[in-house]
Amino acid sequence: MAIDPKHVELINADIDGEISSADRIELEALLADNSDVQALHAELSALSESLDSLPDLDSPPHLKHTILASISQLQQSQGNNGSSSFLQGLFGAPALKYAATFAAGAILTLSLISSDRASQRAFDDVTDLVGTISDPVPGGPGVHMTQINRKEIAGTVTLRSSGPILIVDFDLVSSGPVDIVASYSDQTIWFNGFAQLESSGASISAQSGRVTMQIDGKRRYAVFLHNAGDRDITINLLFMSNGEAIYSTDIEYAQPGHAG
Amino acid sequence: MNKPDDNKLMERCIKGDRQAFETLLIRYEKPVYNAAYRMLHNRDDARDVTQTVFLKVYENLDQFDPSRRFFSWVYRITLNESINWLKKSSREEALEHEAADKTSGPEQQADDAKTGESVQAALMMIKSEYREVIVLKHVLGCSYVEISEVLDIPEKKVKSRLYTARQLLQERLTDQGLH
Repeated sequence: MAIDPKHVELINADIDGEISSADRIELEALLADNSDVQALHAELSALSESLDSLPDLDSPPHLKHTILASISQLQQSQGNNGSSSFLQGLFGAPALKYAATFAAGAILTLSLISSDRASQRAFDDVTDLVGTISDPVPGGPGVHMTQINRKEIAGTVTLRSSGPILIVDFDLVSSGPVDIVASYSDQTIWFNGFAQLESSGASISAQSGRVTMQIDGKRRYAVFLHNAGDRDITINLLFMSNGEAIYSTDIEYAQPGHAG
Repeated sequence: MNKPDDNKLMERCIKGDRQAFETLLIRYEKPVYNAAYRMLHNRDDARDVTQTVFLKVYENLDQFDPSRRFFSWVYRITLNESINWLKKSSREEALEHEAADKTSGPEQQADDAKTGESVQAALMMIKSEYREVIVLKHVLGCSYVEISEVLDIPEKKVKSRLYTARQLLQERLTDQGLH
């Protein structure tokens, strides 16, 4: 089947809906009395229909949040360079807004936690930290970060120290309910409070050496641990979905001079 | 494709407007993901490439040429990242084998035909430069002019590349007895 290239071009233009009126008349005349042109037109039309009918896939439900979380992380790694001002405006959260939800979080925590060491005094301690996690966590010494990039959950967990308090900052997004178990073996370190940013309804429980919380969707949680001796600590983070472990990682804090 | 306000959103985005960035992300997340999937034939890779594309958009906001349309920029990044991904992971050859394997049995062929996977498999057997014009035309719905803008090649070349791509696809499908 040898077809004039000009005729092939007409056929393709017709299939693509980009044929001029004059060319259409010419093509119709060809189709009327040229069986080769008819066959090629039918063949390419069928192919084009197959391609056009390829299913339109939905993107993963949490992809948008993952992208925004990644950009936030990029902002953190860039620190205070030129482009950070853009992201400060784009993703920075107002401290006041956080403070309000912190109070709600503290109340929520009081009603839900069962810690053998938690006390109202402990929550008074962390109240001083209001606003601390509302700002993006800067990189650098004393800040330890791990990135999670799984299908079920993505984002960052950051560990840093503020005086005697360790702040474990969970900035994550999940495609469904995921339980997070943060455990540490040093029994001198105890749960000191919990807060959440721009969300509500979190459930959290604390036991000696272990804090368990659930995330569903995009969440920003902070868990406060009392570390009076400024001791080095390794926290194991276990992520579970439907009762099964999907990911585990460690995040470590070392007092200045101990790291590396 | 009529998105006259994309570039205005970009202007606002450059000035730090969070909502503008999210609007662009919402608008282009799905087409970018679909284009990446059709280039890579792997959902996880498509997800990662989509993420990389929008990170690159953010990182290069100040390099966006306002005389061009946003879609041509973001689609160009998508295709480049997809091709880079294939090169980086050396998957192109493996994908060809994978595609050939996928259509080897009659039962598999029947299943694939239902989901359009046979066409996708054939798509993976042609070179990236041909696959990308098919993706632009049939997945993203671009016109000749728009494809020309995305790929930065003359419209005449777009047409010839598209014709060749279809011819190659047809041959692959015929070889497999699917068309």
